[in-house]
Amino acid sequence: MTDTATTGRLHAAFADAGVTGWLHAVDIDSGAQVEAGADQPVCTASVHKVCVLVTLHELAAAGEIDLTEQVECPPAGRTPGPTGLAAMLDPVRLSLRDAALLMMSVSDNTAADLLLRRVGLDAVNRTTARLGLTRTRTVYGFAEMLGTMREDAGPAGTRALTDPHVIARLRALDPARTNRSTPRDMTRLLSALWRDEACPSEYGAAMRRVMSLQVWPHRLASGFPFDDVHVAGKTGSLPTLRNEVGVVEYPDGGRYAVAVFTRTANPAATLPAADAVIGTAARIAVDALRAP
Amino acid sequence: MDLVRHLECFVAVAEESHFGRAAARLGMAQPPLSQRIQRLEKELGVRLFERSSRRVTITEAGTLLLAEARELLARSDTFLATARRIRDGETGLLRAALSPDVSGRTVAALLSDFRRRHAGLELELHELSTAEQLAAFTAHELDVGVIHHPCDVTGLELGPILRRDLGVLLPREAPQATDDEVPLASLTGYDLVLFPRAHAPAVYDDLLTACARGGYTPAAVRHGQGASFVRGLVLSSGAVALGPRDTQHADPADPDLVWRPLAGAPLAWRHSVAWPRGRGDAAVDAFADAATHALRTTADARTETTARPLHLRPASEYWL
Repeated sequence: MTDTATTGRLHAAFADAGVTGWLHAVDIDSGAQVEAGADQPVCTASVHKVCVLVTLHELAAAGEIDLTEQVECPPAGRTPGPTGLAAMLDPVRLSLRDAALLMMSVSDNTAADLLLRRVGLDAVNRTTARLGLTRTRTVYGFAEMLGTMREDAGPAGTRALTDPHVIARLRALDPARTNRSTPRDMTRLLSALWRDEACPSEYGAAMRRVMSLQVWPHRLASGFPFDDVHVAGKTGSLPTLRNEVGVVEYPDGGRYAVAVFTRTANPAATLPAADAVIGTAARIAVDALRAP
Repeated sequence: MDLVRHLECFVAVAEESHFGRAAARLGMAQPPLSQRIQRLEKELGVRLFERSSRRVTITEAGTLLLAEARELLARSDTFLATARRIRDGETGLLRAALSPDVSGRTVAALLSDFRRRHAGLELELHELSTAEQLAAFTAHELDVGVIHHPCDVTGLELGPILRRDLGVLLPREAPQATDDEVPLASLTGYDLVLFPRAHAPAVYDDLLTACARGGYTPAAVRHGQGASFVRGLVLSSGAVALGPRDTQHADPADPDLVWRPLAGAPLAWRHSVAWPRGRGDAAVDAFADAATHALRTTADARTETTARPLHLRPASEYWL
């Protein structure tokens, strides 16, 4: 049960940053929780790449996929994105596990769709169901999601994504019609991953490694400006949406799964305070869980 | 004969020039639509359409009747909306809101225009901030309102977005008061008088960002809203206030204060009418039209013509 002071601090932090936020944080070992709207259906955006990662490793653990298998990624037909394979110009050949590294470290949309095609949507839904994520659903890949945004944005393209009329009609921002989950489902997934319940430990270690190599410092990690604290996570972003789920580990062994999903009132693309509040809120929650 | 239903068919066929498309729009099959048009023509004794094998063309008689048919349908919508409001225990009342920065002239123009469009319905007008309006929509306490953007538009439908350029209210003895247009950066050193952030947090933040973008970062922000209080702050405390021309708190004859446009119009309020998705009806439409028209004609509000460049950074994670 979250104490009212913590709830108040979370709501104040979200309001100061100009966002509506939903959070769930759990002590992976004791099960103690902090929550603020933890069962809210949310659009996962690129946070959904964690589900793809776990599915891939589960199939590898079952011997159905070889993570060192080399795949071709020609320039034509790549899912758009600003990073990784999505931004490259020339043909690429790489292993499935290196594609997973790009998907997790720089949120590479092409790498994510490459892996999603390899494992199949149904396998991702089977994996999340097996782990008890009853509110999590994968309905399409990243190319299809961006395709609906292109359709809904109309001829003005990216520039239209700051138009309130366009924001109000984007299907990708409606949890009922896109890849979705809840903060509580996401911390359940992370707890399983960190406790080696999702996959055998060798595969769990590989997943925790790529989640620790995420390059973005501006969200979850920004709330823990301490050299001795380890942060692993995966962000997700769409117009007005900023998310991150991850695990924060302290040198005394304390480890906390945190999921923060936010929606800004302002459709502007550059809103540093909205990114930073994900770290601020996570820190409020983790401090509450660590309080004596 | 159900005249309203038949007129709906008439208008749909006239607008689509095609029986198949009109039937699809009305959610009915084509044969009963054709039968209805024939029955209407028989009832009126007027041929409304010329039919060839490929297309449908409205006749001159049909054209003459079309405007009145549309008007009758609009009145019928209004009638049904009023009935629904009465049935829902809300009486024949439209609960509408305006933000406090809308001038008296705009309110008056809106009210008289709305009465002309919708004489039968009582309009209950409230002065509410954008945040209060959004909360009232959620609580089903408000039918329609004029809000400021940006704000969270989840679950809303919006009318056209209009911008009102902001100018600056200065003490008459300020050096900038002699300029026809004041560069935003020249306000450096003045504090800024602004509405309380809770009224519209995203608008507040966005305005301060736009000020910073234009080279003006006030050392302090003082909160005020009422005209005389804002006036007092500007006169006494080394502060300036921002506001559109129509709600400037100083008339040209004011001995103490002047209002000046900002060079290059870097700041604006952005407004639209808004109502909860799926709860629009003829009364809401009439208010939306009246408010939009009043803002255009009395508040210098106009459609945004130039979209700002948008440079997505790699951390945005999406790319179209």
